[in-house]
Amino acid sequence: MSHGHSDPIHHPEVQMATNRNYITGFVVSSLLMLAATILVKDHVLPSFGLLLAIIGCAGIAIIAQVYFLLHIDISEHNIWNTVALVMFIPLFIITIGLTWWMFSQLYMRTMPMMPGMPGMH
Amino acid sequence: MHAQDKVVDPNEVVLWSDDYEGHDVISTRTFGFWMYVLSDGMLFATLFAAYGVLSYSHSYYTGPTPAQFVAPWYTFIQTMALFLSVLAYGFAMTALKSGSKAGVVNGIIASMLLGGVFLGLNVHDVLRMISIGVTPETSGGLSAFYALTQVHAAHIFVGLIWMLVMLYQIMRQGFTEDTVGRLISLRMFWQFQAVMWVFIYIFVYLWGYMS
Repeated sequence: MSHGHSDPIHHPEVQMATNRNYITGFVVSSLLMLAATILVKDHVLPSFGLLLAIIGCAGIAIIAQVYFLLHIDISEHNIWNTVALVMFIPLFIITIGLTWWMFSQLYMRTMPMMPGMPGMH
Repeated sequence: MHAQDKVVDPNEVVLWSDDYEGHDVISTRTFGFWMYVLSDGMLFATLFAAYGVLSYSHSYYTGPTPAQFVAPWYTFIQTMALFLSVLAYGFAMTALKSGSKAGVVNGIIASMLLGGVFLGLNVHDVLRMISIGVTPETSGGLSAFYALTQVHAAHIFVGLIWMLVMLYQIMRQGFTEDTVGRLISLRMFWQFQAVMWVFIYIFVYLWGYMS
């Protein structure tokens, strides 16, 4: 990991910045957020389809931002950042997913519907 | 091979590099900061999980639900302010490649202004919601909504302070190993807030609005 540069400007983590990548990341994620907003506002799809569509928009926007902005790739200088992110993703999904699943099961089994009570879905 | 053909001249042979290439301070620090950024991601994971279990219709009980108070286009403008701020910071980092102090300073100032717009819109939105009775203490669902969105806003606020500090340090110290390393760390921090905002915008604002 040594580069033999005394000037920090020449460090590979400085030199890997490109306007092209930053603009691409910005344009892709903005267009996807615009698309998601229009889809939700105009309610053009049935609820479940709409949910899948906005999840798709979020997923692609996040991949674009992580790749084009955060430089998460397999180049020599970024590989360990990428490994750390790959290890992070399951933790992130498990933390949210298991908690949500556990509580949804709990609600289903412990909270019977009473007449006149605001509903659950 | 005839190794002995070539006589090693002790006065010219290079056995090691003249200067100590050293410990790569910038790479080490930015990797360490990336570890912090990912732990910050886990903080958001817990808040997303809390929001997830508190966004059932019974979580709001008889109070307002996001479908009644979320304004998608307003929040979309907030999204654009944040994305543009991240883009301006990207331009600052590209200017850093050639050591352009003016380019870096202008990029950071633009990024700060746009981040300020994001924060201003957020404060305005919170005041609007409070004025129509959407307060955190109304229901568990609203508490989770406020906790998540305002923790993100707090990150943006800290990012703006950090930018101000970086402007001062660049003016005073120029591009040293320390300041350049901090600029890279701030880039990761700022871009990561945009990634978290995508989750918040889609899964809290838009999903909340449609359900």
